[in-house]
Amino acid sequence: MSPKEREKLIRRIWIVITYVVLITFALVYLMPFIRSLVASFMTWAQASRYPPEWIPHPFTLENYEKLFRLELFPRWIRNTALYAGLIVAGNILFASMAGYAFARLKFPGRDAIFSALLSLLMIPMFVTLVPNYIIIYKLGLIDNIFGLSLLGLTNVSSIFLMRQYFMSLSNEIFEAARLDGCGPIKAFFYIALPLARPALGAVAVYQFLGSWNAFIGPLIFLRSPENFTLPVGLSFAFQRSMWTEYTPIIAGSLVASAPTIILFLVLNKYLIRGIVITGGKG
Amino acid sequence: MFSKFSSFYEKGRNKEIVAGLSLISVAVILNLVFGYFAMIFAFYLSFFKWDYIGQMQFVGLKNFEIVIRDLIRGFHGAPYLLSPFYTGLKNILIYTAIVVPIQTFLAVVLAAFANQKIRGQQFFKVSYFLPATTSSVIVALIFIWLFMKNGFINYALAHIIPGFQPIDWINDRNYLLLAIAMVAIWGTSGHFMVSFLAAMQAIPREIYEAAMLDGAGPIRRFFFITIPMLRPMIVYVVVMGLIGALQMFDLAWVMAGANGGPGGAGYTVALDIYNEAFTRIRPGVAAAKSWFLFAIIFTTTYLFQKKYGRAMR
Repeated sequence: MSPKEREKLIRRIWIVITYVVLITFALVYLMPFIRSLVASFMTWAQASRYPPEWIPHPFTLENYEKLFRLELFPRWIRNTALYAGLIVAGNILFASMAGYAFARLKFPGRDAIFSALLSLLMIPMFVTLVPNYIIIYKLGLIDNIFGLSLLGLTNVSSIFLMRQYFMSLSNEIFEAARLDGCGPIKAFFYIALPLARPALGAVAVYQFLGSWNAFIGPLIFLRSPENFTLPVGLSFAFQRSMWTEYTPIIAGSLVASAPTIILFLVLNKYLIRGIVITGGKG
Repeated sequence: MFSKFSSFYEKGRNKEIVAGLSLISVAVILNLVFGYFAMIFAFYLSFFKWDYIGQMQFVGLKNFEIVIRDLIRGFHGAPYLLSPFYTGLKNILIYTAIVVPIQTFLAVVLAAFANQKIRGQQFFKVSYFLPATTSSVIVALIFIWLFMKNGFINYALAHIIPGFQPIDWINDRNYLLLAIAMVAIWGTSGHFMVSFLAAMQAIPREIYEAAMLDGAGPIRRFFFITIPMLRPMIVYVVVMGLIGALQMFDLAWVMAGANGGPGGAGYTVALDIYNEAFTRIRPGVAAAKSWFLFAIIFTTTYLFQKKYGRAMR
């Protein structure tokens, strides 16, 4: 065998190994989703059989029907959507405002205030959890989605991401606007904000995933089952064993994660870009 | 003429100051209240005995004493109900020691495999990242079913490992924490893999080409080029992993329950802080415990960054 052939052979073997490893792990990562999707159309009797079965027989929509017959489940979806909407809107608006000011305007104490905000990232949420519960309690906003939203309305990491983005924009366009007599606030709405679409997309996707999936905040700040969000509601339904079989929980889990999965499949480029922005420079 | 210009300039400066301060105002006020004030309040609270309703009663360092006594009792082998904080701390340290190295290693290796000229890179990226987009509560609920004694995981393991006997993962105190760790690794390694992949694609190709001319194979290239170039990203991923693992709550809450499951095998410090604040109604003790957690997170991440983070920035 000539050295060139040998090299070719090694290369081919290496590609095969690569595919075997990547496909094996893709199966490991996807299997729970595939298994749940199949089982959500099975009866519990079939889903709990050993060895596992793969084809629903009989094919049943009973699990989903049970879920939506439960009055609380649609309410949990609505609450989660409301909470996620508030958090996304708050972060897009306030983080872009603050990020723009920190990146492009000069005012006394700017850098000190920004580093003070950044150092909050080091504080574990469990330190501020009890005091925040007391603050929200004193405001009379316990068991209220709006009270809960107050805590996440301006995330420091969103401000950081927006600031990084606004700093990367070129100076000239802002200078030109200033010479034309455009004030800083006007420049924000007419120049900075329209240019910031990619960064706003990343912030929106991140905050949507974070708030849609949030657990500990909603668990503590929401009290009555009709105000729960999906993760809290489902864990509540599970712990109260509202169903004797497990398949409706699986179906509920799939319904609850459908929006984030679909969003990710559509917008994964944004998300991965966000990782590059925050990860590379954080 | 000159004074007119300077007043125009002054006006512009003032306008910028007013605009800057008003644009940051909402963010600053909310973070001042829910960040800084809350932090100071947590410190204040840790010196008081309170039940959220009645008078706050100053107790000095007693809340910290409760935590330290708990630790000493646990160290001498007291059962977990008498030393919940010790149990949570022990579990969370074991859990972190399992999860962080494995998830980092797995993420690097998978990224290295995916970072080649192959078809379907996007498919692999999306499949690996998918668990990270799903709520940890929902992930935990699905895995409880998969971890049942006659569930899918035992079935799969029985086919991979010869002579494997089915384990009752969730109800066996020897395996509960391991099951939670496996779910955590499954849930986060894909996210970190994408981070590593992004960092790897930023490594200049010329370095690899030069090494290939020198006859370095893929394995040697991985150890002598990829890993050193990835160092800042590895430090970042390990620090984020440590912060996440040491505060683990959601998975334990669902898979083990608020009391930590059989023998407290799945109890964590975060669960203990929750129970102290909202079940035992001792916000002062909860605040003291949260300061301990902060100290642990701060020291571990600080030490790690100090030891390995020199290359950063």
